[in-house]
Amino acid sequence: MGEVRIRVPGGIARGSVARARTLIIHPNERVERKDGKSIDKNYRFVNRIVVNYLGRDIAEFDTSTSIGENPSFGFAFRATESGTLKVTVFDTHGGRFEGAAVVKLA
Amino acid sequence: MTRRQVLASAAPAGLCVAWPRGQARGQGHLANLASEEPVEKTMQRLFGSRTIRDGAATITLELPLIAEDGGNVPVSVEVKSPMTPQAHVKAIYILSDKNPRPLNARFNLTPACGQAYVAANLRLADTGDVRAVAEMQDGALLMVKRSVRVVVAGCAA
Repeated sequence: MGEVRIRVPGGIARGSVARARTLIIHPNERVERKDGKSIDKNYRFVNRIVVNYLGRDIAEFDTSTSIGENPSFGFAFRATESGTLKVTVFDTHGGRFEGAAVVKLA
Repeated sequence: MTRRQVLASAAPAGLCVAWPRGQARGQGHLANLASEEPVEKTMQRLFGSRTIRDGAATITLELPLIAEDGGNVPVSVEVKSPMTPQAHVKAIYILSDKNPRPLNARFNLTPACGQAYVAANLRLADTGDVRAVAEMQDGALLMVKRSVRVVVAGCAA
């Protein structure tokens, strides 16, 4: 659990907008039910994702149990410089997972 | 300023301090989740009585017509916007009408995104509408809906 993969296209032109995709290996538990009622327990799911590019937070996602297992997100960023695109993932059990990709401009 | 002071000062204003959330343990209990409610109530909770305009000309919501597996439904939302500090999309909300907790996710964006585009894999409990709501930097709201037929329920959320 907790692997964060990021896919960034290669050879991005400076100043253009690129789309990246991140995949988080995580069970992202759903709420279980018994006799139509939700069971109360500490479900483990991803509830926050922060996207950081060149050391600046550019986007933040609030997520829930209604995202599938192994959550996957797409997003865009304006590629101004070569550098690092970082995704930090937080879950309800105090987990903090990180992934990074190198953005190379053409 | 200590963390406790930061939290205490933010609480009365109804602000949410970003840092402790997600790092605190035991956040997954039902009490911390959104309550089970019909989608109208979620919309009311999120947007109050603000006017929501039809976003058909601005928002592209891509979803499969038939989702074989409700536990993993690809969705993407693109909102036409210059994404400048003066005119950009502040947030994109994805809601599923038939889910017990209709808000799937909220995506907070900045002009540095360059494009108001997000994608995700949703859990859908049943056949029904999926909505995308875009909130502009000036607070204007736009919405589109698309119906998805779910073959095997994702027992969502």
